[in-house]
Amino acid sequence: MTADPNKLTKKLEIGAPGILFCLDKRDDSSVIHCGSSDGKVYTFDLADEKPTGKPLESHTSYVTGVALAGKYLVSGSFDCSLVWWDLESGKPVRTVKDAHARWIRGVKAAPDGSFVASVGDDMVCRLWDAESGKLLRALQGHELQTPHHFPSMLYACAISSDSKLVATADRVGHIVIWEADSGRSLATLEAPVMYTWDPSLRRHSIGGIRSVAFSRDNKLVAVGGVGKIGNIDHLDGPSRIEVFDWQAGERTHEFSHDKLKGLVETLAFGPDDAWLVAAGGDHGGFIQIYDLKEKKAIKEEKAPMHVHDMVLSADGTTLFTVGHGRLATWELKEASA
Amino acid sequence: MANRRANFCGSEDHLIHRRGFLGAAAAAGAFAANMGVLNVLRSQPLASELKRQQKHVILLWLAGGSSQLETWDPKPGHENGGPFRAIETNVPGVHISELMPKMAQRMHTTCLIRSLNTRNADHGGGAELMERGRRDEPTVKYPDLGAIVARELGRPDSEVPDYVSMYTTAEGRRKGSAGFLGARYAPMFLDKDLMPANIRRLEQISDLDHQQRGELRQVLGERFARGRGSHSVDSHNSAYKRVRGLMASEKLFDVSLEPQQYRDAYGPTQFGEQVLVARRLIEAGVPFVKVARGWWDSHGQNFETHLELVTELDHVMSTLIDDLEARGLLEHTLIITLGEFGRTPRINPSLGRDHFASAWSCSLTGCGIKGGSVWGKTSPDGMSVVDGEVGAGELFATIFQALGIDHKKDYYLGSRPIPLTNPGTEPIRDVLA
Repeated sequence: MTADPNKLTKKLEIGAPGILFCLDKRDDSSVIHCGSSDGKVYTFDLADEKPTGKPLESHTSYVTGVALAGKYLVSGSFDCSLVWWDLESGKPVRTVKDAHARWIRGVKAAPDGSFVASVGDDMVCRLWDAESGKLLRALQGHELQTPHHFPSMLYACAISSDSKLVATADRVGHIVIWEADSGRSLATLEAPVMYTWDPSLRRHSIGGIRSVAFSRDNKLVAVGGVGKIGNIDHLDGPSRIEVFDWQAGERTHEFSHDKLKGLVETLAFGPDDAWLVAAGGDHGGFIQIYDLKEKKAIKEEKAPMHVHDMVLSADGTTLFTVGHGRLATWELKEASA
Repeated sequence: MANRRANFCGSEDHLIHRRGFLGAAAAAGAFAANMGVLNVLRSQPLASELKRQQKHVILLWLAGGSSQLETWDPKPGHENGGPFRAIETNVPGVHISELMPKMAQRMHTTCLIRSLNTRNADHGGGAELMERGRRDEPTVKYPDLGAIVARELGRPDSEVPDYVSMYTTAEGRRKGSAGFLGARYAPMFLDKDLMPANIRRLEQISDLDHQQRGELRQVLGERFARGRGSHSVDSHNSAYKRVRGLMASEKLFDVSLEPQQYRDAYGPTQFGEQVLVARRLIEAGVPFVKVARGWWDSHGQNFETHLELVTELDHVMSTLIDDLEARGLLEHTLIITLGEFGRTPRINPSLGRDHFASAWSCSLTGCGIKGGSVWGKTSPDGMSVVDGEVGAGELFATIFQALGIDHKKDYYLGSRPIPLTNPGTEPIRDVLA
């Protein structure tokens, strides 16, 4: 069935322990894997009548990245460690204790299953052999401090569909496109509006690029966050997306939504790169879908929670979201009879 | 209104204090150990007075309300605890947030009060309470801590200000108030940059002209005040008498005069520079300096905000402690970290924490304090105080006692005695040295 983003409909909503920051799921499985603020990785089988999370325990702080890589699930945490889990037994088979010197913010797996990328507040993106766990290379191109002398944060990474490119994006809006094989920086882009520094009222900052995604043809890179905020006590700014033709170094799209406020935490391109789905929130949550050809919003939905992560199925017909205390599934197609 | 003469109870002790102090101050000026000062130290009450007058306070005001969980009272392992770990300090058994590794190595200098329940989670009301130690009455506007310390520890002939308040972020900005003590104890307020506004003499006026204008103003002012018995007029005149001295203190605010190594040590942020100025001021004899670091009101993205602000606080506060210790000033200087309230243990959907005054923390470092001590305890979820609950009054009584100021001492509004803290308020004796 062809995906129709205009038909976005919530199908399932489940309460979950803590704050779910991340998830991964394979199209051929009904099982989703989530990372939680309670330090556990949860697996939910959505084929169950009443899905409940089965915990995998190893981490000691927020689990902020999970990625399915070959026969393993790799999780990363604010405890700075990466854990390889055997999916059959649910046991950890490898732990890299100090994978990063500071909080790990995200973990992604290459589509071909060859490597895993992790990013952390040490401002390094590390590529790991998915099978052996060996460190392949460290990608360093982000400043440790903001221009205002505070610690910066490297929130997001993405891997291209051909597994050849890695994109990383940080708090001050700096984006780097890397060649995975060589570790060479291919391009840098800037989205400074995502970072708000308040020099007079409150004298600290908020924001940052929280999400990055390659288009399926790998020509475009989308980044998400929040636009300029007047009162940085709150996430009281327009959700914001910028899309770049990364090879040309040109921004091709800019979406700023004044009514759906807060952070765009996660992004995914639909089939044929015709549309882009974004999710996130402030105290509440949202899902937005944009037509990239027409450069306009085609769907806006409130989510039942601030959404921290999502997975869009390859055919674009099913969306899985996790966030503050909940997970939800959505369909983007005509309701089944 | 307060009667200046009525501020002194008339006892023999007090007369000795004041008369002796004025004589000593006239002879010695600052607290240099010359023979004039040593002679008058034979008088025990005066020795006590002078001892008090060598004490200082630096208040690091965490405006907007910092999170106790990300500073002094972490709750690792609980869902309310947030992502930061608790780390060991150099005081066995005492743990603080991992955001404060430098303070963890200086915990022997600092006492933590983890059991504040101040019952006011509104910015304005909370700030007023924590600045003054109690709520105003309809007919009594209480002085804030800085004004009282200026009143108690300031020197009448001082050429430096008694009370300097820096609040350069605009949100929630509060100037501070001397309340019924009057303008004489109002803060020199810096709200734009490190240099006080209008401190320099106008170029069009010569120094002699400026002096003569001051003398004329004094003659006219005293004539106006004669027979009126107005506290506000007296207070006004008293403040004007100090103008030329205050103008001469300009250099204290100029951090470029500080050796580069100290500027580097405090760091490049505005807060670091302000605290360096605070050290310069108290070293020169200013009794009370408040540095407001705004704005901590992290309703959204609490952890990012605290990653920035606590990291900075940890560095600057540790540098200040080391600097004061190296100069032999720490035992005479009380560093207070305090705000209007703490933050909710429960984490909201914006990953923020909201206002919370039921169970929060502050710290006291240095003068008169039992370093390494911890007072009070909160529940495992951080929602309530389970041991040693104290309010603003008890905290203020503790601060006064640490400085050698009798917290039961009376001021007078007309004939009405106004004690420094409300009757029945006791200090936390366990944290006093």
